[in-house]
Amino acid sequence: MKVTRREFMKTLGLAAGVGVGANWLLPAALASGENLQPGEVYAATNCEMCFWGCGAIAKVVDGKVVKLDGNPLHPGSRGKLCARGNSGMGTTYDPDRIKTPLIRTGNRGDGKYKKASWDEALNYVAEKMLAIKRTYGPEAVCLFHHGPCARHFLPLLAAFGSPNFAEPAFAQCRGARDIAFQLTFGANPGGNERLDLANSKVVVLFGSHLGENMHNSQVQDFASAIAKRAKFIVVDPRFSTAAGKAKYWLPIKPGTDMALMLTWANIFIKEGLYDQAYIDRYAEGFGELAAAVAKYTPEWAAKETDLPAGLIVETAREIGRYRPNVLIHPGRHSSWHGNDVQRSRCLAILAALTGSWGREGGIYLRTKASLEMAQGREDYPVPEKKPLIELSPYPLASKAGLTIGVTTLLRQATLTGKPYPIKGWIVMGTNLLRALPNEKETMAAINNLDLLVTPDVLPFETAMVSDVILPSATYLEKFDDISVVKDSCLFVTMSQAAVKPMYESKDGYFMARELAKRLGLADYFPWETVADKIKAQCELWKIDYEELSQKGYLEFKNTATPYITPDNEPVFKTPSKKIELYCKTLADHGFDPVPQYVAIEQPQDGYFRLLYGRSPVHTFSRTTNNALLTNLFKENEVWINAKKAKALGVKSGDQVILTNQDGVKSTKVKVKATQRIREDCVYMVHGFGSSSKELHNAYGKGADDQHLITRYAIDPICGSTGMRVNFVKIEKEV
Amino acid sequence: MEITITGVNAITYPSLHIWNWTVSVYLFCGGLAAGLLIMSAIANLRAGPANPEDRVDTVRAALLAPFVLMFGMFFIWLDLERHFNTYWFFLSFEPAAPMSWGGWGLGLGLPLSLAYALSNVSQEHRQWLRFDFLKELAAWLNPYLKPLAKIVFALGIFIGIYTGVLLSVLVARPLWNTPVLPIHCLVSALATGAAVIILIATRGSTQLFFTKINLWLITTDLILMVFDFLGHLTSGASHRESILPFFTYTSQYFVFGVAFVLIALLFPLALVSMLLCVKEGNKGELSGATRFRMKLSAVMVLAAAFIIRLAWVYAGQLTKLS
Amino acid sequence: MPRYVMVIDQRNCIGCYACVAACKTENDVPLEHFRTRVVETVQGEFPNLRMELRSELCNHCDNPPCVSNCPTGASYKSKDGTVQINRNRCVGCKACIAACPYDARYIYPGQGFADKCTLCIHRIKQGKEPACVATCIGASRVFGDLDDPQSKVSQLLSEANSSVLLPEAGTRPRVFYIRKQSKPD
Repeated sequence: MKVTRREFMKTLGLAAGVGVGANWLLPAALASGENLQPGEVYAATNCEMCFWGCGAIAKVVDGKVVKLDGNPLHPGSRGKLCARGNSGMGTTYDPDRIKTPLIRTGNRGDGKYKKASWDEALNYVAEKMLAIKRTYGPEAVCLFHHGPCARHFLPLLAAFGSPNFAEPAFAQCRGARDIAFQLTFGANPGGNERLDLANSKVVVLFGSHLGENMHNSQVQDFASAIAKRAKFIVVDPRFSTAAGKAKYWLPIKPGTDMALMLTWANIFIKEGLYDQAYIDRYAEGFGELAAAVAKYTPEWAAKETDLPAGLIVETAREIGRYRPNVLIHPGRHSSWHGNDVQRSRCLAILAALTGSWGREGGIYLRTKASLEMAQGREDYPVPEKKPLIELSPYPLASKAGLTIGVTTLLRQATLTGKPYPIKGWIVMGTNLLRALPNEKETMAAINNLDLLVTPDVLPFETAMVSDVILPSATYLEKFDDISVVKDSCLFVTMSQAAVKPMYESKDGYFMARELAKRLGLADYFPWETVADKIKAQCELWKIDYEELSQKGYLEFKNTATPYITPDNEPVFKTPSKKIELYCKTLADHGFDPVPQYVAIEQPQDGYFRLLYGRSPVHTFSRTTNNALLTNLFKENEVWINAKKAKALGVKSGDQVILTNQDGVKSTKVKVKATQRIREDCVYMVHGFGSSSKELHNAYGKGADDQHLITRYAIDPICGSTGMRVNFVKIEKEV
Repeated sequence: MEITITGVNAITYPSLHIWNWTVSVYLFCGGLAAGLLIMSAIANLRAGPANPEDRVDTVRAALLAPFVLMFGMFFIWLDLERHFNTYWFFLSFEPAAPMSWGGWGLGLGLPLSLAYALSNVSQEHRQWLRFDFLKELAAWLNPYLKPLAKIVFALGIFIGIYTGVLLSVLVARPLWNTPVLPIHCLVSALATGAAVIILIATRGSTQLFFTKINLWLITTDLILMVFDFLGHLTSGASHRESILPFFTYTSQYFVFGVAFVLIALLFPLALVSMLLCVKEGNKGELSGATRFRMKLSAVMVLAAAFIIRLAWVYAGQLTKLS
Repeated sequence: MPRYVMVIDQRNCIGCYACVAACKTENDVPLEHFRTRVVETVQGEFPNLRMELRSELCNHCDNPPCVSNCPTGASYKSKDGTVQINRNRCVGCKACIAACPYDARYIYPGQGFADKCTLCIHRIKQGKEPACVATCIGASRVFGDLDDPQSKVSQLLSEANSSVLLPEAGTRPRVFYIRKQSKPD
């Protein structure tokens, strides 16, 4: 594909002549002395290799993205990109991409599709949607989504009349944490956690493997905390990279984290290590908390957690000594064992006791400024039936404005037809078969569907069982909504195409709008393109479109109020308007108002608890076909304690098969026999072992942890699915 | 210790593998050609009246040398990644680079050795030369036999040493990085030269003479090898590790262990066999069986010398400075 | 002439491999080949473990064995102090690869010439930092002029103990490593 410079400028939406789109950036952005070469253009956009939303600058030569840099203006990237961000073009130029719309011709799952025109494919989808609406009602169509591109389907769904949508980001990731913090502080720590890591004196990580879990600015702050000699206390059954930087590594017995947290709380209170003035002023329920945790002694915790009692006390004192400049990391992926809201509540309580919420080095406060979000028509029809989430036994899942839905509820309804049937799925930006626990259940639900439509970039597993596959543009090829980010300050960022879409791929707005037209809902999408929508948003918010387009990032001045000061008193949006150490809402619903420790099942002899985590160069399964990234990390390995490996007669590099408690077997995977993990668990990087033969780089590389996660423990408070409750045994492949 | 490296190049990890048997062939042929040139030059330069019959065998050596050299050079040329850039060897001279010396040395040495070969062809044998211009050239060169012999003697020493220097200057590769290696290569080159003369000689006395020479050369060779190992063993850690492949009979290093055993068998065997031949030869007339045994020991010397070069080229790439 | 060096503050390296990825796209390094790498070493026995993260690249030595062993002058020490390769002159003899104690080189597939890190000299000439430095998430890689006492590299090297890789090779590298705090915390 060849694009001339002039054409390219057009795709950037820059009518002006030579170099206008580029000159601004270069002095500031890409260091000084930049000289534009002929045929060279720079475009500012938002990176979508993961969901952190970094500002990126694409260097385009002869219509091809050749280099990606971090946008120095953008606080998420600060001029830097991670390995994935650096390798974004590897996805755009992946030869395995979905090139045209495809309509299934064979049986579901056998991979037979016919090429279709956009018209054909969209007509097909619209007809099916209308048919489902006629037979089952509009709420029988639901949306699974993740990322900015997929958000355009939300207004479509609302206009269509369905209240059912969900992101795995809630029930399979950070939902429990967000609910817990919401219940405690009246606010969650943020999708991009508002961690003042760079100013922390002590940082406590429970399973958070920063560095391996690569979120650009957070890891930059993590590194700068290391540079400033902050003391790290890393609680993790595995010696993570973060543990390698830590003063204290606490190789805790998996599943017993709450014992340590509650004991710490007890020590803080007993030894007067907590921030009394802060608690007196802002918190409620201290007495109940003190009474409830009094029984958790270091000696008890030592037995429970398999950590030395002395170390438990020493670390508690270390935290207390440096309060309030202490960061108790709230975690991110928190769906572990099914008691996840309560565990996250413990973290919130520790953060409160150390007085670190709203304090330097703790969790800083979100800006109070906001933007009017009104855009387009808002008069959506009122759904006849209640959303599934409200009919569920998890009343707190939709609490406090957290409306990103519970995926597994939608799956359950699809599977059982109760409380009402779900017959159509739109899945975008998430590979559901790899995101949800118990693949079999997901597949069974899919088999109940009348329509599964998957707009995607690559033929991932879920796409390959769909009725219609639509080729999505990558972030380097599309415009997208302005992101409004409420961090310490309020800012907006711009997503714009650096190059023309490859093949017949289209952006999410186009797809949603074209479907809306065919569903008679065109009014809800008044702008012809998403670029027009951006312009309208700019007008509404009095932002200079040209400036935003050129800089990619605009900050609203004087909106940052990160710390508690006499002029900036915190607002806690809880029922008591205070930090709730004792949570009445939970009590009202029959849950422990102060977290209590409940032991969870431990693996039997010969079995290991299956733990999973991340590689810094991959985002789940979605990057595992990117040649630039597989070059750095081709396949996952199963980490086994060296002593255990020896006993099992396996060594590093050997191929093994994992079998879980339900007899489900993994594909072949290499062993990493290591001192870096406890004897009672094994660890794998998530996202590998692709079963889609269309992914030539990813197919069959390593093993899929999700395939082994057949069992999941639902958190009774928010419905999230704890997935670290599976046990595997290891068999050598002969 | 657990080491994980992200971003390794297959050519250097887990161990260097840039050179293969073609380089061993090159080193072997270079050495052999050097040995042949030196032996023949000595024969030509030895004091006393030249006995035409005595010279026949060394003439053969002189004639063989340039072809052996060419054969070797062909293999090193094969090893180059950019064959058509070879001319760059002769567009610059890099005094610090052994390969530059080698390029020029072999580039000039090949025509010299050809000239020397022609100068060796006596009048009665010139009829065997195919082309008239060769006959004329041989006739023209013949008077310069002695000066040419002096030159190729030096050339032989240069090439013999060069095949070792090439590897010994590489500080990154401990097994090669020893001053013993060039001398070792020279002695080994002389031994192979003598061995080939034993094989191609028509007269028993020549074979006996070169067997006697080889006795001394092989003994020196063995002593040098012992000192080479001793030097590594008593040097830094990476040098000590560099000789491990020869003494560690794990699956990874097995082939090197076998190579070492072969060398350790062939050389002494050849030595004893040669000693017996010399003892017999000193008594008087040489029997056919003795002459066969001399040839057999010569083959053993050649085999061992080639195995050494194979083993050293591969084993040297296994270990590195660390 | 400035004295370009790189200081790698290993304390801050968090093993994210952004440097490796940035190097590949900036320099169009062929797949399966690398000009820089990250070495992760863990010592000890559970639970007493220590980790070292070390990124490695061409050391742009002041006494470069790759240059002295190059028979054609294709590898050379540039006036700016960096070690560079003139691809046209390279015959692909691989002596430089054998000579480099840091295993910094590879043969460019299909073309046959030796290739390696250029310290992003094309970027330096434009006033930019090398790509690996510019994207270094941990700010572990620092680039600058050692002759400028105000530069970050000069300051880092004056504050902390530094070392080079394989000093016994006598190569006098221009890449310096800071492993530990030299003053007590």
